[in-house]
Amino acid sequence: MKRLCWILICLFLIGGMSSMGACSNDQKVILGGLMPREINGWVAREKDELYDPETIFDYINGAGEVYRSYNFKQLLARRFSKEGQPDLVADLFEMTSSRDAFGVFTHDLEGDDAGVGRGSTYKGGLLSFWKGRFFVSLYAEEETEEAKKALFALSQKVASSIEEEGEKPDIVSFLPEEARVRKGVHYFHNHLILNYHFYVSDENILLLNQETEAALGTYREKNEKLYLLLVRYPEKSKTSQAYQSFTKVYMPDAKEAGIVQTEDEKWTASRVKDDILVIVFNAPSADFAKRMIEHVLKRID
Amino acid sequence: MGKKIITRRDFLKVAAMTPFAGAWACSQKSVEKEKSAREIEESGKVKVVLIRDENALVSFKKPDPDVVQRMLDEAVSTLFDVKDPVEAWKGIIKPSDIVGIKSNVWRPIPTTREVEQAIKKRVMDAGVPEENIGIDDRRVKIHPVFQNATALINARPARTHHWSGMGGCIKNHIMFVPRASDYHGDSCADLAKLWTEYNLKDRTKLNILLMLNPLFHGIGPHHYSDKYVWEYKGILVSQDPVAVDSVGARILQAKRREFFGEDRPLQPPAKHIVLADTRHGLGVSNPDRIQLIRLGWKDEILI
Repeated sequence: MKRLCWILICLFLIGGMSSMGACSNDQKVILGGLMPREINGWVAREKDELYDPETIFDYINGAGEVYRSYNFKQLLARRFSKEGQPDLVADLFEMTSSRDAFGVFTHDLEGDDAGVGRGSTYKGGLLSFWKGRFFVSLYAEEETEEAKKALFALSQKVASSIEEEGEKPDIVSFLPEEARVRKGVHYFHNHLILNYHFYVSDENILLLNQETEAALGTYREKNEKLYLLLVRYPEKSKTSQAYQSFTKVYMPDAKEAGIVQTEDEKWTASRVKDDILVIVFNAPSADFAKRMIEHVLKRID
Repeated sequence: MGKKIITRRDFLKVAAMTPFAGAWACSQKSVEKEKSAREIEESGKVKVVLIRDENALVSFKKPDPDVVQRMLDEAVSTLFDVKDPVEAWKGIIKPSDIVGIKSNVWRPIPTTREVEQAIKKRVMDAGVPEENIGIDDRRVKIHPVFQNATALINARPARTHHWSGMGGCIKNHIMFVPRASDYHGDSCADLAKLWTEYNLKDRTKLNILLMLNPLFHGIGPHHYSDKYVWEYKGILVSQDPVAVDSVGARILQAKRREFFGEDRPLQPPAKHIVLADTRHGLGVSNPDRIQLIRLGWKDEILI
């Protein structure tokens, strides 16, 4: 009887493992089907690699935290080679939603528009774009003219095989466009990414988490940069809590509720509108900060 | 009393006009003044040697083995104030030691075989038999030499890093831990902890931060483009991993300023370097407490 039990356990484990393997292979086929295996003479000779939020560190080390911050589901990596040319590395990130595909794209916006997908950049041998729930990074290990052409050709192929278009998060549309710097928009969830783009505090004083949606806009006013942060919380009560937490730590010396002059003689102001917290950092004057907030509140309406 | 929360305003208080990373460091010093008791001698400064040679590279990212050997010899001799480099190595390595040379195999900018062999040669010259020397990076946890190592030589290139701000000597020992992601919290703020947790602090006899062709900026998931590699042709050497990284970070920062034409602080700030000093006492990050000795080629030295 004991022996029979062991046999059953083993069969169960083997079955489970093979179905996991089959699942992983299925995913490789599905994601791999979005990408050609040959482009401009570059051929994918090695097996595709598939990574999940636990194994991504084996592939891109600490950078994996960025993709985890955007709720990525899986990543398919494919390497292309061609005699006498640098390898091309294609990384296809499947995110949980198109909002996160857009968000992770906004993490690194350096470069010129590559004219592909719903938004794209090209710089120094790296072409990245987002479309639907996918974020795609195509990278030449060395930038040559031929490799660059291949990256652009590959990007078009991948983009055309992704059928869904995907929508930008609506919170981004509340950021005014006037005076906003080019590529000055980031969308994210947690305070680690906020601090990456604009350091606020070592502690999570805005109570951000994977359920919050945040949009950060960078603006220019007379050669000075100022920042507008909008955060939507899952419930109004959490928005109020976050406002209390922020004002308590960041502006304990405020003479007027929700607005303070900081040590660089700039102004930081904060207001709540329904489930959204609005903060302006580095405003040149108190009036400017208040006007900017009013302007945003009208857009939210 | 709870831990003080540090906000942007703390930086503004300390140094509204200085670069952010610098302000961060200053802020840490003021906030954690009590913790800054150093393990170094009161009057002493930590020594870091920077050596540069115009001919250090034979081509893009390819070191000249002879020049690298010469640079390493001169740097180590100067560091220990001994004329003969072999004698200098004998000061830190015994013939009975089992020596792990902790390399770095990151594909775009690895430690390189030329550097590894230059180190290995001197470890052998110090009397260690070849079979007691290992060179590895990602397999150090299972490598028999590293498992039994009595001495480690820590050698890797300097580069900006997507999550910790900078990849340097402190970070290079991450491969000794079972799960690197356990140290990713708060932009790798507490990386230095692993040096004590895995008994690496005392065993690491020398830290070599390669500045031959550092990466001063990164893009994309792989955080790399040839565009942001520059031929600095230098090597930094110290017994203090924090000091060597601190100097390396300043050079990367200076290069970024020069390249971008404005202050572009490391993103995120490499705060693990400062915290390795102020919070974990691994070494010295404060430039005022570092004696930087510059040798060789001085053009565009940036520091």
